[in-house]
Amino acid sequence: QNPDITITNNVLYFKAQGHGAKGDNIYEFQIDFLEPVEPKPLYKVTQRQLNITVQKKESSWWEWLTKQEKLCPDFDRWLDESDAELELREKEEEKINKMKIESRVPKDPFKHLKKGYLVIYNLVQFLGYSWIFVNMTVRLFILGKDSFYDTFHTIADMMFFCQTLALMEILNSLIGLVRSPIIPAVIQAFGRTFILFVVLGSLEEMQSKAVVFFIFYFWSIIELFRYPFYMLSCIGIEWKPLTWLRYSSWIPLYPLGSLAEAVAVVQSIPIFSETGKFSLALPNPLNVTIQFSFLLQVYLIALFLGLFINFRHLYKQRRKHLGPKKRKMK
Amino acid sequence: FVSSQVEILDWKTKKQLCFLDKVESNATIREIRLMIHKSYPQWYPARQSIRLDPKGKSLRDEEILQHLPVGTTATLYFKDLGPQIGWTTVFLIEYTGPLFIYFLFYFRMPFVYGLDERFTSSPHAVVNLACICHSFHYMKRLIETIFVHRFSHGTMPLRNIVKNCLYYWGFAAWLAYYINHPLYTPPSYGRKQINFAVIMFLLCEAGNFSIHVALSDLRRDGSRTRKIPYPTKNPFTWLFFFVSCPNYTYEVGTWISFTIMTQCVPVGLFTLLCFIQMTIWAKDKHYTYLREFKDYPSLRMPIIPFLL
Repeated sequence: QNPDITITNNVLYFKAQGHGAKGDNIYEFQIDFLEPVEPKPLYKVTQRQLNITVQKKESSWWEWLTKQEKLCPDFDRWLDESDAELELREKEEEKINKMKIESRVPKDPFKHLKKGYLVIYNLVQFLGYSWIFVNMTVRLFILGKDSFYDTFHTIADMMFFCQTLALMEILNSLIGLVRSPIIPAVIQAFGRTFILFVVLGSLEEMQSKAVVFFIFYFWSIIELFRYPFYMLSCIGIEWKPLTWLRYSSWIPLYPLGSLAEAVAVVQSIPIFSETGKFSLALPNPLNVTIQFSFLLQVYLIALFLGLFINFRHLYKQRRKHLGPKKRKMK
Repeated sequence: FVSSQVEILDWKTKKQLCFLDKVESNATIREIRLMIHKSYPQWYPARQSIRLDPKGKSLRDEEILQHLPVGTTATLYFKDLGPQIGWTTVFLIEYTGPLFIYFLFYFRMPFVYGLDERFTSSPHAVVNLACICHSFHYMKRLIETIFVHRFSHGTMPLRNIVKNCLYYWGFAAWLAYYINHPLYTPPSYGRKQINFAVIMFLLCEAGNFSIHVALSDLRRDGSRTRKIPYPTKNPFTWLFFFVSCPNYTYEVGTWISFTIMTQCVPVGLFTLLCFIQMTIWAKDKHYTYLREFKDYPSLRMPIIPFLL
């Protein structure tokens, strides 16, 4: 505390109060520099130490630092003549590299092929989900609530196609074609495939339930924003309203979608219990019992866990892309 | 002897916890731990982590103050590792559980399969064989814990024991349930499958035991430092030519043979989990060996020869 640091005639005078192992004391010392130095030292005080920066009057290499002994150099910051030259050279190389990168021809011959593939993939998905959404909306207007009960029979084929194709997204993430992390992609793909093919697809009884309409509707709205956004970002175009939609529509839609999925699972549990589908009873050569209804109950927990993980991931993405905004979270 | 001063700071708050005056320069970290314990009786030496950097590695008991890069007043950082429990104690509890839990199912206690099946016995010989093998395996582990193993760390955090016991005991109960079930189905290939499994089981158990003895012999002089293990005259140890941790290799082999013997999916699942866990441990150990010893044999893989 209260350091008094001055330089007179190339001698640094230091005096300060300190709290040490033996209590509060006044500490002082002098450093006699070999060559002339600037008389204005800069210093910074931290919890554990005090850093004083003294500038040489002339930029040159000194034989000795001081005319005294008893100084321990901090080798972390020690700059040899050779070290300093190395640093200078590195800085020059960096500048040259930067210029090279800017004027570089794209070395990746597959770059355009990859872009094209991604654009087509996202386009196809967008068309598929638009068909689903439009179809469902039209039927809703024409048939009203009755359209709920045979949603599956009219829409399922297209949904099967789109969802199977969506498995490619895991591959894209895996081979690095797309920069997004793989775990949220796996969670979403697995969750949707499970609901579509196992919970709904394998049980006739589930296919005529109203909840199917809601599941398909929520899924398709989310995708309606997601795929065009990806498509445009591949070409390098950004349409601000779309970006906002893509990073905000999931906030109501994801939880609603998960809720609908959970309802479907809960409705399917008694059916699986009764029919014993996908279940294995003793005796059997594998010597294990599988009760699918029990696994579904465990799945409900996993469903909300997956929702939570993806929610966090999407929230982080939103912050990154839409910038930090002050929002009132209820 | 020159005497030094040591100040002990908390690793997070950097507050001074203790100032040791007149410490002999040739004092060991063990002695320093004892001195801290005197000032703070609730922190017995086993739960003290003393390091040179707040986030650094814990210093070993044998390290000497003089040989550490500290000045005349040494600054060491302290971290409380929480309540500790000895490895021997942990192993004893972990392995005794499955031993007795299996018996509950083998002897068909009334609460397991219902009152109608209480205390009955299975018509299948393989069920008796499975009980013998399972019990033999855990008894061997208990004997090794008491007489063979020499641990490099004395203790582990207390909360580990709950986690470990849940895992071992839980799985033992689950697989014992199916093997000793009245509706158990013996292996599809009958005697051939069972005999093959038994031979594999015995070979792997012998192998695993040989490796444990060989590793223990490396520390016969009581030291706790790491040395490279080499194959001995015992043929089972020749796996050391190919693998850094053959004890894990043999262990996985034991469980594979038990799976074949019982043809039971829960056993297979347990085997798979053991394999994953042991591969992680083996890789860890393998890379530690590679880092510590420049002349480490290059042919060796962590757990499976040539593959993994």
